[in-house]
Amino acid sequence: MDQKSSGLSFAIFFCRQLDPDQDVNRRALEKELGARVRFYPLPCSGRIDPLHLMRALESGADKVYLITCPIGACRYREGNTRAQKRIAYAQGLIEEIGLERERLELIVAAAGKPATIDERTRELLAGETSIGPSPVKGKKQA
Amino acid sequence: MMTESRLKKVLHTGNFAVTAECGPPKGADPEVVKSKGKVLKGYVDSANVTDNQTGVVRLCSLSACALLKAEGLDPVLQMVTRDRNRIALQSDILGASALGIRNILCLSGDHQSFGNQPQAKGVFDIDSIQLIQAVRNMRDAGEIIGGEKLSSPPQMFIGAAANPFADPFKYRAARLATKVEAGAEFIQTQCIFNLKLFREWMGLIRDLGMANKVFILGGITPLKSARMAEYMAKQVAGMDIPEEIINRMKSAPSKEQREEGIKIAVETAQALREIQGVHGVHIMAIEWEEVVPRIVQEAGLYPRPQA
Amino acid sequence: MITAERKPISEIKEMLLPYKKILVVGCGSCVAECAAGGEKEVGLLSSALRMDAKVSGKEIEIKELTLDRQCVYEFIDRLSDVIGQYDVILSLACGAGVQAVAEVFPRVHIFPALNTTFLGETKEAGLWVENCRGCGDCKLGVFAAVCPVTRCAKGLFNGPCGGSRTERCEVDPEVPCAWQLIVSRLEDMGRLDLLKKVQPPADWSKQQGKGPRKIKREDQRT
Repeated sequence: MDQKSSGLSFAIFFCRQLDPDQDVNRRALEKELGARVRFYPLPCSGRIDPLHLMRALESGADKVYLITCPIGACRYREGNTRAQKRIAYAQGLIEEIGLERERLELIVAAAGKPATIDERTRELLAGETSIGPSPVKGKKQA
Repeated sequence: MMTESRLKKVLHTGNFAVTAECGPPKGADPEVVKSKGKVLKGYVDSANVTDNQTGVVRLCSLSACALLKAEGLDPVLQMVTRDRNRIALQSDILGASALGIRNILCLSGDHQSFGNQPQAKGVFDIDSIQLIQAVRNMRDAGEIIGGEKLSSPPQMFIGAAANPFADPFKYRAARLATKVEAGAEFIQTQCIFNLKLFREWMGLIRDLGMANKVFILGGITPLKSARMAEYMAKQVAGMDIPEEIINRMKSAPSKEQREEGIKIAVETAQALREIQGVHGVHIMAIEWEEVVPRIVQEAGLYPRPQA
Repeated sequence: MITAERKPISEIKEMLLPYKKILVVGCGSCVAECAAGGEKEVGLLSSALRMDAKVSGKEIEIKELTLDRQCVYEFIDRLSDVIGQYDVILSLACGAGVQAVAEVFPRVHIFPALNTTFLGETKEAGLWVENCRGCGDCKLGVFAAVCPVTRCAKGLFNGPCGGSRTERCEVDPEVPCAWQLIVSRLEDMGRLDLLKKVQPPADWSKQQGKGPRKIKREDQRT
C-alpha cells in the first residue's frame, strides 16, 4: 500500500541495537511522511512501557509498531521478552475500550538479517493494508 | 433416654466391629433413608450418616440418624465444621443426644468449593480436633466451650477420621495421637487399598503406644469399575490405589468388574482382621449400600454379636 | 501491603457516564507496589479513558494526580485546591483510601477504580500472594510464621486435613499445603513440640469486631 496517500499516521518504537546509525537512516522517511511518522529509538526494547504505547495512540497514531531484537539476541538478556509482555498488556487495555489489538504490533526482527530502520520501516508500511484510521481521532480524516 | 452406643459395647467387649456408611439423599424423602437402614440392619453394628459430603446439599445427618434410630439401628452422626459455627455445632450435639444418637464422628469437612454451593461461606469456626475436645468436655465436664455449665450433659461415643495415605506421612501418626488426647475413642480411616502402606502406618501407631488407646476401624470401599478406580486414584485427594488393584479391575471384563471390586473388598476385610491394633472395618459403599451385607457375610463377619 | 486490581474499564465507564470533569487520583503506597493504582496506572487508565471518550464522541476533561498515601488526611488535603474544578473523583486507592477521601470531602462524588483484594507479600515481580487476614490475634510464632487462618483453606489450627497430598492443598493444586509447610519448618527448627498441645478454638470476635474495628492510642492523639 502506498502510505503516502493513505493518510495514516505511524509510531515506530524500536531497539537502537538494530540500527546503530538510526538517527541518520530515518531522516529520509521523516522527510517523506512528515508528521505522519514518528520514530522512538529505545536503548533496549525492554524499556518500553505500556504508557508510551497508549500515549502514542492518544496523540494520533493509527498504528504503532514495536520492533525488538531477535529472541536470544537481546543485549540485556530478557529485554525483548519483557517488551513482548508489555505490549500484550497494552493490547488488552485498548481492547477494553474497543480499539483493535492490531493497532499495536510487535515485530521481532529475524535473526541473521540485519537491516536499517529505513529498510525495516518501508517494508512494514508497504505490508500494512488492513488498518484504517483510528477511531480515537474522531470521524474526520487527516 | 436409657440408650447406649451399640458400637461402643461391641468394641469394649473385644469384638471386631463392622460399621457402614449410609448416604442420605439429595431430597426430603425419608423413605430413602429408611430403606437403606433396612438393608444394613443386622449386618452392621452401627451406620454412619455423612454430613453434606463433598459440600453437596443433602438431607441432614442429624435427621437421617434419627430416622435410622427409629428403624432400630445405632447411628453415627458425622459432623463437619465447614457449615456450622460452635453455637450450632454444640446445639446439634445436645439435640442428637436427646434423640438417642450415641455416636459422633468429628470432621473438618471437604472444602465448599468442591460441592454444589461453591459460593457458600465456609464457616470453619473450629476445626475437627477442637470439635472432639468440645464434645468430650460437654460429655465429661458438662461444659460448653468457654466453661459454662450445661443443665444435662450429652452422651456420646466420640470418633475421628484418619487418613494413613495423606502427607506428611510421618506426622500422621502424631496427629492421631493429638486426636486421641483431645478425646477421640474410635477412628474410622480413609478407604484402604494399599495394605502395605496401611500396615506401615499401623506400625507407627503401635510404636506410639496408640493401639490400645483407641479403636481403629479400617475403611473399605468396594470398587464398581476400573474407571472408578482410576478416577479415585487420580482425582480424589488423599487416596492411594496401587497399580495392581487398578490392573485387577482393568483385566476383568466390564460386566464382571463389580464382582472383582467386591472380591477385593472382602480380601481387604479379611486382611484387616489379621492386623494387630485394627478393631473393625468401616464399609463405605457409596450409593451401593446393597452390597454391604454380602461383603460382611463373605468376610466371615456375619452374624453380628448380640448387643 | 494491601493489594488491589483495576476494575474492568467497562465498569469504570459506567460509573463515569454522568460526569465530564474527572479528577483521577492515585496512591503511591500499597496499590503502587502491586501495580494497580500508582502514578503509572493513573496515566494508563486516564489515557484509556480519554481515548475512549474520543471514540464515543463524549467530551471529558481528566486531571491526573497521585498522593503519597490516600488513607491519611494530611495527604488528602492536598486535593483541596483542585477539587472544586472537577465533578467527580475516580480514585485508584484501596477501599480505605477511597473512603478516607470521602471523609475529607463528603460532598464530592467519588468512585473506586479498583477492587481491593487482600493483605499480602510480593512473592516475585508481578506475583502477589495473600498471607494475612487480620484476625487480630497473631499466633505466627506457634506456626513457624505460616498463617493457618490465611494459608490453610479450612483455617485449621490443628492440621493438616486428610486431603493434603504431595504437599499441595486439595482445593487448589497450585497452593502449597500450609500445614505441610508448618510441620516441615518446625521439624527443621527442632520445634515440633509447639504442635503437641491442642490449639483451642480461636476468638473470632477479634476479627469480626462489633462492626468496623478501631484502634485508639491516647498517647498518639492530640
